[in-house]
Amino acid sequence: MNLNFARLRGWFFLFSLCVILPGMYFLFVQPGLKSGIDFSGGSSLTVRYDVSVNQNTLRQGLEDIGYSESTVQDFGDNTFFLRMHLLEDGTYKDLVADLSTQIGLTDKYEVLSFDLVSPVIAREVVLNAFYAVIAAALGIFIYVWWAFRNVPSPFRYGVAALVALLHDVLVVLGVFALLGWLLNYEVNTMFLIALLTVIGYSVNDTIVVFDRLRENVSIYPNRDFPENVNYSISETIGRSLNTSLTLMLPLVALILFGGQTIQVFLVVLLIGVVAGTYSSIAIASQILVSWHSGDFGRFLLRRNR
Amino acid sequence: MRRYARTLILIILLFLGSVAALAVQKIDLGNFQRGGDTILGLSLGLDLQGGSHMVYQTNLVDQSGQTIVPSEEQMSGLKKTIERRINASGLGEPIIQVLGEDRLLVQLPGINDLDRARKLIGDTALLEFKHRTSGTYLDIEGLDAEMIVSVSIDHLPEQVDASGNTESKVSDSGTVDELPKTPWIFIEFTDDGSAIFQDTLGRIGAKMISTGAVSPSSMGSSIFGIEVNIEGNESLRYTITPFFVERFEDQPNQFAIPYAQGGQSTMPMSIEQAQAFMGDDLTISFQEITSSDEDIGLTGDLLERAFPSQHAQTSEPIVNVQFNDEGTKIFGELTQEIANDTSQAIAIMLDGDELIAPVVLQPILTGSAIISGSFTLNETRDIALLLESGRLPVPIDLVQERTVDSILGADSLEKSVIAGIIGLVLVLVFMTLYYRIPGLVAASALFIYASLILAIFKLLPVTLTLSGVAAAILSIGMAVDANILIFERMKDELRSGRTLTSAINIGFNRAWPAIRDSNVSTLITCGILYYFSNQLGTTVVQGFAATLAIGVMISMLSAVLISRTFLRVLALTIFGRKANMFVPTKGGSLPHMDQQ
Repeated sequence: MNLNFARLRGWFFLFSLCVILPGMYFLFVQPGLKSGIDFSGGSSLTVRYDVSVNQNTLRQGLEDIGYSESTVQDFGDNTFFLRMHLLEDGTYKDLVADLSTQIGLTDKYEVLSFDLVSPVIAREVVLNAFYAVIAAALGIFIYVWWAFRNVPSPFRYGVAALVALLHDVLVVLGVFALLGWLLNYEVNTMFLIALLTVIGYSVNDTIVVFDRLRENVSIYPNRDFPENVNYSISETIGRSLNTSLTLMLPLVALILFGGQTIQVFLVVLLIGVVAGTYSSIAIASQILVSWHSGDFGRFLLRRNR
Repeated sequence: MRRYARTLILIILLFLGSVAALAVQKIDLGNFQRGGDTILGLSLGLDLQGGSHMVYQTNLVDQSGQTIVPSEEQMSGLKKTIERRINASGLGEPIIQVLGEDRLLVQLPGINDLDRARKLIGDTALLEFKHRTSGTYLDIEGLDAEMIVSVSIDHLPEQVDASGNTESKVSDSGTVDELPKTPWIFIEFTDDGSAIFQDTLGRIGAKMISTGAVSPSSMGSSIFGIEVNIEGNESLRYTITPFFVERFEDQPNQFAIPYAQGGQSTMPMSIEQAQAFMGDDLTISFQEITSSDEDIGLTGDLLERAFPSQHAQTSEPIVNVQFNDEGTKIFGELTQEIANDTSQAIAIMLDGDELIAPVVLQPILTGSAIISGSFTLNETRDIALLLESGRLPVPIDLVQERTVDSILGADSLEKSVIAGIIGLVLVLVFMTLYYRIPGLVAASALFIYASLILAIFKLLPVTLTLSGVAAAILSIGMAVDANILIFERMKDELRSGRTLTSAINIGFNRAWPAIRDSNVSTLITCGILYYFSNQLGTTVVQGFAATLAIGVMISMLSAVLISRTFLRVLALTIFGRKANMFVPTKGGSLPHMDQQ
């Protein structure tokens, strides 16, 4: 692929904004991230019934036995995910028994899993999640800065990698806010783990391009910087795409055929892989070009006028 | 070829070693024990094996009511006590860890009877023996004179039912054989009064039944009851039991008690006589005859032994306890004091719930006693266990729990493994088709890589969770990535005219910095995840971080060691002549303007 990537950077930035801004709307204005009990406390359980049950029947049943603020999610295969406020130790069994009797399916079920998180712990988890993401971003920024110390302006490389990373995180968060609104996708510890993995992978990809760029800059110092960037991207794009493919194939297979419990986790990874590949080419590298060409200064000046 | 012989042998040894480690289900060499009943003997996390993981928070409060942090000794004592309880119960082996300063993580993998385990952990097991004195007269709390609206003497109303038979209109009691014409005292309460009175009746009735003091069918003096005091022209004072108080469906605030003259019910008297005797202006007041418990300092801490056994006569399951010296002394004194006095008993309470309150017939000076109370066999075992292990040094609350049924776990595992294999096969097919011979090399390298990481997971051991399985599958994909980097580089070098061998070498050398640097960033996030795992969910996060980290590191190793050696070896063989087999099918045009 022999595109003049650098010239298209404006379009890349615009495209990214088009993807991120609606996501941000869903994140901050509308429902926002739907948080599971890991972040907001409460109890949740997965129940499988022997016969086919309607989601609304369950919801009505819960209301009838006094749990009107609970939510029900259909996982398919007669399996449902119920979520409610904090239950007393061990009482979840009574709850399911009562519910099943209420809807006429006494003893025709199986409780597959149960989770309980007290608000104390939930608050801690949210805090720690925040710290973890910041620590990861910082750690990576410092590492890139150090790894590219022999290149002119290594600080920029660090910043560019960081921005690409943030871009990917925002994309994932935005998409999830949307999915939370549409499909009731919940965000919990699994989501966090996947997010951190995405952060790790996104930079992975970016560094490969930067590495090639480093090489090209040292071998062809007389070449125009944007040109070097273009070549670096072209030279590594084969590898980028192939790697994304080799990661996406097992991921898609797992999402389609794998168990229900890690769906959220896998979807985050999938989005992350796509975003990560895109961001290395369209964001990280282009930021270097823009910086080099003084775009930002010009952009700001033009606005101020 | 000879140059690479050593490396080849090393690789083959590693491969065989890892296969052997995996094939042997359970490894047991002296102090080194790994493996078990799970698939390939791998250590499986909660979400794959089923079981429970619970986090408890201590709830220690000092005299002024402030929450304080327990000491290290207390936490260690807490951990040991719970370990003892579960180990002794035969439910399985718990994995218990102290988290931070005031939390405890209890993991029960693969345990079936979670309810029992939960009770064993959570119960403080404070056993108290209190001196109970019955026959104390207490004003009924909350029942004021203003709550009594009216008092009158009447007979029970009759009701004619469908078949024309007369029967009394009553609702609560069971034994109404009285002739409707004997006088009864009718009392009407306010709503509040009626509620309090009913509550009191219920309480006293329950106590009477549970202590076996009096059976519902008899009436007479007992150590529990309600003392009635009626003032009118004359004063009447007698005791009634809750079982003889009547209530009426259509008038919930009205109660009727039998009228007794002279303190004992003697001759049947007519209503007119009773009304004449007492007059019209009646007031009534009540007192409850109940028991009070005195704390004599006799608790489970003074027990030396506790074990389940069978009652000699009734064969029902009981718990046999033996006090230590101090306990024996106190127990002896208590039993001497209350022997043969039915108004006094020993109230035995476990965690505030009354187990039983037997009276004592003879003083017990040996310090051994039995506790019976309609227990099941399992209950006696657990109670004895709780008593023997001692009570928890610190009270605890459950703050987090994750329970997964083993069916779901096995199901998830199966599905994920199959899906993962499908995905990987697709990847390998793609690799071979696109990169040809190097692709094949990558495929075989990956095979070795997979068995290596699985062996490491088994030997370390690393607990595999569901996300960890996904991570392992992904890391195989990332191992492919390292290979891809090398192959692309090789392709470039070959295109620019190098020999196969030098293309391979240069390819590796040039690609290595990229491989190293890019993987480090993933390792950084793994490190961060591991560090935060205590707060974020321990086993799940830890398992994932460790799995991914090992996967990444071994993938680098596999690319450098295995792929490279295979390629070099192959280059020296007949395939080496066909350099174009080492180049991807669709090479793609390279934007090389300057020739190197």
